[in-house]
Amino acid sequence: MKGPEEFSCRVIEQDALAPDYYLLKLEAPELARNSSPGQFAMLRCSEGYDPFLRRPLAIHQVDRNKGQVLFLYQVRGKGTKWLSMRCQHDKLSLLGPLGRGFSFSAAGGRAMIVGAGVGVAPLLFLASELRAQGWDLVILMGARNKSGILRPDAFRECGDLIIATEDGSCGEQGTILDLLSRELAKSSFDKLFACGPLSVLKGVQTMSREKGIAAELSLDERMACGVGACVGCVCQGHDGSYLRVCKEGPVFSAEEVVLGE
Amino acid sequence: MSDLTVNLAGIKMKNPVMSASGTFGSGVEYASVFDVSKMGALVTKGLTKEPKAGNKSPRICETPAGLLNAVGLQNPGVEVFIRDYLPEMLEFGVPVIANIAGSTGDEFVYLAERLTQTGVAGLEVNISCPNVKTGGMALGTVPEVAAEVVKAVVQATDLPVIVKLTPNVTDIKELAQAVAAAGADAISLINTLVGMVIDVDKRKPFLGNCIGGLSGPAIRPVGVRAVWEVSQLVDLPVIGMGGITTGRDALEYIMAGASAVAVGSAFFYDPLAAVKIIDELDQYCTDHGVEKLQDLVGAAWKEK
Repeated sequence: MKGPEEFSCRVIEQDALAPDYYLLKLEAPELARNSSPGQFAMLRCSEGYDPFLRRPLAIHQVDRNKGQVLFLYQVRGKGTKWLSMRCQHDKLSLLGPLGRGFSFSAAGGRAMIVGAGVGVAPLLFLASELRAQGWDLVILMGARNKSGILRPDAFRECGDLIIATEDGSCGEQGTILDLLSRELAKSSFDKLFACGPLSVLKGVQTMSREKGIAAELSLDERMACGVGACVGCVCQGHDGSYLRVCKEGPVFSAEEVVLGE
Repeated sequence: MSDLTVNLAGIKMKNPVMSASGTFGSGVEYASVFDVSKMGALVTKGLTKEPKAGNKSPRICETPAGLLNAVGLQNPGVEVFIRDYLPEMLEFGVPVIANIAGSTGDEFVYLAERLTQTGVAGLEVNISCPNVKTGGMALGTVPEVAAEVVKAVVQATDLPVIVKLTPNVTDIKELAQAVAAAGADAISLINTLVGMVIDVDKRKPFLGNCIGGLSGPAIRPVGVRAVWEVSQLVDLPVIGMGGITTGRDALEYIMAGASAVAVGSAFFYDPLAAVKIIDELDQYCTDHGVEKLQDLVGAAWKEK
């Protein structure tokens, strides 16, 4: 696997999918070629020193033929606000690909993908790669309301999509964990993949244990270096040691990690 | 190409740009990003006798033009470091300086003895970490205590001994004089400034450790002042650090009296910062007819 590199990438386009949710398309041929699902990049989100740190963003999808990389993100503060205002032809500094991504057998199987809110960001790349390798997919998307259901059409191309919103404004009314529990009772799966808030990841971790299904969880953590050098972004491993989310993760097997508050 | 070389207390470097402890891993993390062998020297993460788990999360918090960190010296312990990490660090072919972070004087002596004859080029005595309960800054705020640790380390090794001081004291000059008298070969200035951020939604300190160390461009003037005062008072080479992000930032430290500089948080802002700084130092010398960068050390001192 090739190590991360620093790139200056041109913005091809950027669209607001819903208030505060953006889809950013960059010209980044090397990154498109060398990334695997679940990996991320550190994007500089300022012209000066404020904000000072780069923002870790999951690689949402790549187009290796066109040399393009997509990022899907939510505006949460100053850095992502700045990023959302970049336009076509602007250049962005980016370090990637970073971290350990999802792992799956090339032999195929049946997988459940669980994406809550903007947690769907790393899952489209995963879904399309799994699909290409012959996996059967059931994809669960959940959010508070309709505006948090991001890129359902793109996901639908990769498998059976089931949507739940807490207010019932899109798909079924309920939480994504309600959906997961129901679908796991209905049929069997070889593997679970999930990304979303900690409460959802904990639910997936618990259910995977109960059902004896291997699960991989993509964690979100504030980072400084992104390459494993500063030891700033840690989660707790099962043996009590601290694991670097940027290096040993951001994707962990459900047995590896103890999820906190 | 101008002459950027520096001989820092016997450590021969091709340029004065080092990595700051704790920000650069063992260098391999950046090996695909830039040519690490271009660096003047590499400084390890703080090492302890036994493995150290470090502090609970969150460990970092962004602040205006900088960040707070409270990693708490997470490291695999000196034995695992020597076995698994040092060989790959030495492969870059640049001097490796081991940052040692004992919690007692005896642990410092142990670490100094253990790291002698391992290939490291020098020791940086960390009596300035703000994020541990014992050792660290607690040993570096009282001149007599600091001097005792340094004296013991100097006796335990024939490697050059660099002492890294904390700015969180009433008078950093007193400390510098004390460690100089105790036999230090060089002084690193500055470690991070103690700080805190409150999460107003949760109504509690943001960091798992509550307090952390502030670094980044925000603290640069504090570091420059410390270097300017200490380097004029103490007859030892000084390594300047704190918020260096560009070549001009490095020049500020050099003109304040630093013989070498270290880049830390800037790697997070721009992973290519160190190589850019080296190029910018060279360019400055070319543009201003400076043959030897070391001629600029202390150019901004009072008497000049």
